[in-house]
Amino acid sequence: MATAAPWILRLDGSSLPEKALIGGKAWSVAHMRSLGLSVPAAFVITTEACRYYLEKGTLPPELDAELEANIAWLEAQSGRSFGAGPSPLLVSVRSGAPISMPGMMDTVLNLGINDETQVLLGAECGDPGFAADTRRRFRELYASIVLKTEDHHTAVIPENVRDQLNGAINAVFDSWNSRRARRYRDHHDIPHTLGTAVTVQAMVFGNMDGNSGTGVLFSRNPITGEPVPYGEFLNRAQGEDVVSGKHTPKPLEAMRESLGDAMDELLKSSSLLEQTSGDMQDIEFTVERGKLYFLQSRVAKRAPRAALRSAVDMVNEGWVDRETALQRISSEQIRLLLSPRLVEGAAGKATVLAKGEATSPGVGVGLVVADADETETRAAKGDAVVLARPTTSPNDLHGMIAAKAILTEQGGSTSHAAVVGRALGRPCVVGCGAGSLEALAGQVVTVDGSTGIVYQGALEVFTPREEDDPALHLVAQWAAVVAKVPVLAAAPAGVMPVDFDENLEQSAALFASLQPGAVVSGALFANDEKAVHSAIAAGAATIITQPVLPALLAAAHAALANRG
Amino acid sequence: MTPSHIVLHGLAIKKHAGPADIAGLIGLDETTTATLLAKAATGGRAVEVSGKYMLSGLGRIALDADYSRHYDEVRENAAFMSAYEAFEVINVTLKGLITDWQTMEVGGQRVTNDHANKSYDDGIIDRLGKLHERAEGILAKLSSVIPRMAYYSKGLLEALEKAEDGDIAWVSDAKIESYHTLWFELHEDLLRIVGRIRSE
Repeated sequence: MATAAPWILRLDGSSLPEKALIGGKAWSVAHMRSLGLSVPAAFVITTEACRYYLEKGTLPPELDAELEANIAWLEAQSGRSFGAGPSPLLVSVRSGAPISMPGMMDTVLNLGINDETQVLLGAECGDPGFAADTRRRFRELYASIVLKTEDHHTAVIPENVRDQLNGAINAVFDSWNSRRARRYRDHHDIPHTLGTAVTVQAMVFGNMDGNSGTGVLFSRNPITGEPVPYGEFLNRAQGEDVVSGKHTPKPLEAMRESLGDAMDELLKSSSLLEQTSGDMQDIEFTVERGKLYFLQSRVAKRAPRAALRSAVDMVNEGWVDRETALQRISSEQIRLLLSPRLVEGAAGKATVLAKGEATSPGVGVGLVVADADETETRAAKGDAVVLARPTTSPNDLHGMIAAKAILTEQGGSTSHAAVVGRALGRPCVVGCGAGSLEALAGQVVTVDGSTGIVYQGALEVFTPREEDDPALHLVAQWAAVVAKVPVLAAAPAGVMPVDFDENLEQSAALFASLQPGAVVSGALFANDEKAVHSAIAAGAATIITQPVLPALLAAAHAALANRG
Repeated sequence: MTPSHIVLHGLAIKKHAGPADIAGLIGLDETTTATLLAKAATGGRAVEVSGKYMLSGLGRIALDADYSRHYDEVRENAAFMSAYEAFEVINVTLKGLITDWQTMEVGGQRVTNDHANKSYDDGIIDRLGKLHERAEGILAKLSSVIPRMAYYSKGLLEALEKAEDGDIAWVSDAKIESYHTLWFELHEDLLRIVGRIRSE
């Protein structure tokens, strides 16, 4: 086939090829390069090559020579050699489809390490232990991802680095046709002919010397939303050290002393990345021998308070319009912001009865009961009950649903009680210690699921109100303009709403029989965004619920979605 | 395993269950299950409340006393036991994964995952899919010894696919047969079969 277009493109920032050709990951690298940011050298094998492979069952014949040339380019760019010394080049290999989907190959890191380069790398960074660890991690990843075997001790990993690379490229292309990926595309009407690209990128090392390190920077504070970059940095470390929790990163200021220039460049680029993307960014970076490299920049995950504040601030700063801001705040985030908490100072004077691991936030007050059946019976009578068990199992589910809070003596953040408590939105404290809860039965306690403390008696709890919070108040005004259906706290005089609270089980039938122009009411609408959408779709003219804002926001989202 | 025992076993896994809720789990059809449940109620081993059954105290004792007799052979079956041990290993991974689903690390703090960041959620559902592929291998081995175990394969896959298609409640919602709900039931089932006690 005499094709003029190459199978491989260099991501040098000189152009920004379409996502359909190079996939999302490579596009993001090319995008950062085009902004003038320093990104480790990378090239991409295009989705065209994938389509060829899928059709013919073999890689394009020209690909081998193109790989040679582009590896040579990576070597020149990084000053390293693939499979040789003095400084060995290691690469990451990642799949990148134009649309993200499940079932695609995970990233292989540190490809290019073998008997010889392990020794060279150890000598270069003065840490043979690190080189051995890198080798081990590579073996594990390659065995499970490329060779698809659980047993990495007996897996045969190629010593030849080009064989390693070819194996990984084939595995990426094969993953396009994995069962999970195929089913997902079928279900979402995504053409099977789209194909995935393969990004090959030089690895950089944050552990080379004292002027190296790795970290993450948020363009705004991801907890509070304060418009000040927030970051963490770990000197002389690789990204895996941070992820594994082996070392605790320090605040970004730790960079100032020895890496002031890199830090300035980082902060400057942080606002550039935020402005070009129009949303708060989460940026991964590494410094190798004083030189800053950007590894990844993506839309930052954030706590509810930060979601609210950053959306409102960005409207005020003129980066986004109100509609965009509304779409960046979810009803669930508003619910979390409006959830009850202890009155400030109330905990100070209270007696602490038990302490454990805080696994599901919120405050619950009630009488301690040691049995799920009794919890259910008492709750049905209207009592506020806290369920306390040694551990929980599915046999206790009905009691957990009925309880105001859940306590256990044994177990940690992944225990049944923690998982189910979070799923139900119940405050939950686990692992209070063997025998610690027995004596509490029959007492009224206050459980703080955010701190893991159980207090004696009913402490004062307050529920934040949207009208007391300027940012929430503003969002409510914006949402009211956009929403096609008003949401009110109480029904206007003389109006008899169709009430869903007493007919929760029949809600589907109620929606189906709803008259256009009906007024609907119920806590359901404050708690479930889908119920608001169903009511609007069924022709409801007004929704009555409390608190108002979660449902109002859901109504605004529905109106924005209909605008398309 | 006798029918009268397996129906009690089904009730131990799914409390407050009707015939339709446990027939699949115990590998019998609904009509047979309904008959067995009614019989268990008549014999005082189960209690019926508006079509749903739960074990009585007597039923629980009868059930627990009989496991070793019914599952003696299985407990001696090396292939089954090694598959069970493999399940315990990925169970640890699953628990960590569900924690990452429900909470996320933001700026050095663990906060509730409000599911507003789709790429974070997609990443975890993708991990769940990869874990499921490992689980399928294990379940195939378990089912070759106890055929009714195939019920979990099917149910877990259904929950996974609903989650992949965007209905994210199917990852860990405790009120439906979500991936985590079913996984936990599977674990409970296995613990009873092999005669061990859950370690949290």
